[in-house]
Amino acid sequence: MVDYDPTIINKVFEHTDPVEVRPDMIERFCETLGERNPLYTDPAAAKTGPYGGIVAPPSFAVTFRNGRHFFEHIPRFGRRGFDAGKDVEFVAPIHPGDKISLSSHVKEIYEKTGRTGSMVFVVIRSTLTNQNNETVAHIDHRFMNRP
Amino acid sequence: MKKFDEVNIGDTLGPLELTVSKDQCRAYAKAAGFGEIAGRFTDEAAAKKEGLPGIILPGNMSLGLLSKLVTDWIGFGGARLIRLGTTYRVPVQPDHAMTIHGFVTNTNPDDRTAEIDVWIENEEAERLVTGTATVEFPQ
Repeated sequence: MVDYDPTIINKVFEHTDPVEVRPDMIERFCETLGERNPLYTDPAAAKTGPYGGIVAPPSFAVTFRNGRHFFEHIPRFGRRGFDAGKDVEFVAPIHPGDKISLSSHVKEIYEKTGRTGSMVFVVIRSTLTNQNNETVAHIDHRFMNRP
Repeated sequence: MKKFDEVNIGDTLGPLELTVSKDQCRAYAKAAGFGEIAGRFTDEAAAKKEGLPGIILPGNMSLGLLSKLVTDWIGFGGARLIRLGTTYRVPVQPDHAMTIHGFVTNTNPDDRTAEIDVWIENEEAERLVTGTATVEFPQ
């Protein structure tokens, strides 16, 4: 069984400073994905939509960076882990002008044996909040390590 | 605008055929704020040094393309993508044709949600990225 300090689980190790979402950030993001949905790209049309104005596409939520020291808090098992996947819960849309902060903790650590041998997964949960302290998204990052 | 009553198990999303260029991949990495760790997404030599065939799409970009498949299917409406889980199985390379698929696996009238399997395939029909999405429809 994989060996780690159990006190690390659920300990919040990072809380980033708020990042202001400028309209041009949403615009550039949409361009790179070929986004054409007026909800995200057309201010006049979006005014008549469910959010009363432009919002960021849901996946914009994954572009907020953890701080520079993010990886120092992740227990290492062998080589640096690689990004195995993400699980994102989109709680509320992100609007231009929102100020988004991120706080992260280790959610779980588990071991799996696959065709290619043993793997240790470290799941980091980041929660995004806006300037009104409302949660906008939860992101579980799964990192795979080979011991 | 997609309505809950119009959604049936077995409905398909896409397939959407596309090729992401290297420049688009670099533009995404930049727009998504990949700073000093961007080598494998922007720089051929750095990617090859890591043992990759060349630059690869950030996992988040694949997630973004799968998210877009679902939000395009929803259209200009009140239904919302409330969850998306992805697994990055094989690196996705720019300048290679890919197809993005979706398939409705379940609908739940109690909470007016639909579950959708989504995935990205290469030309050999190998699934590079797989995922599941949940869409919630208004009352």
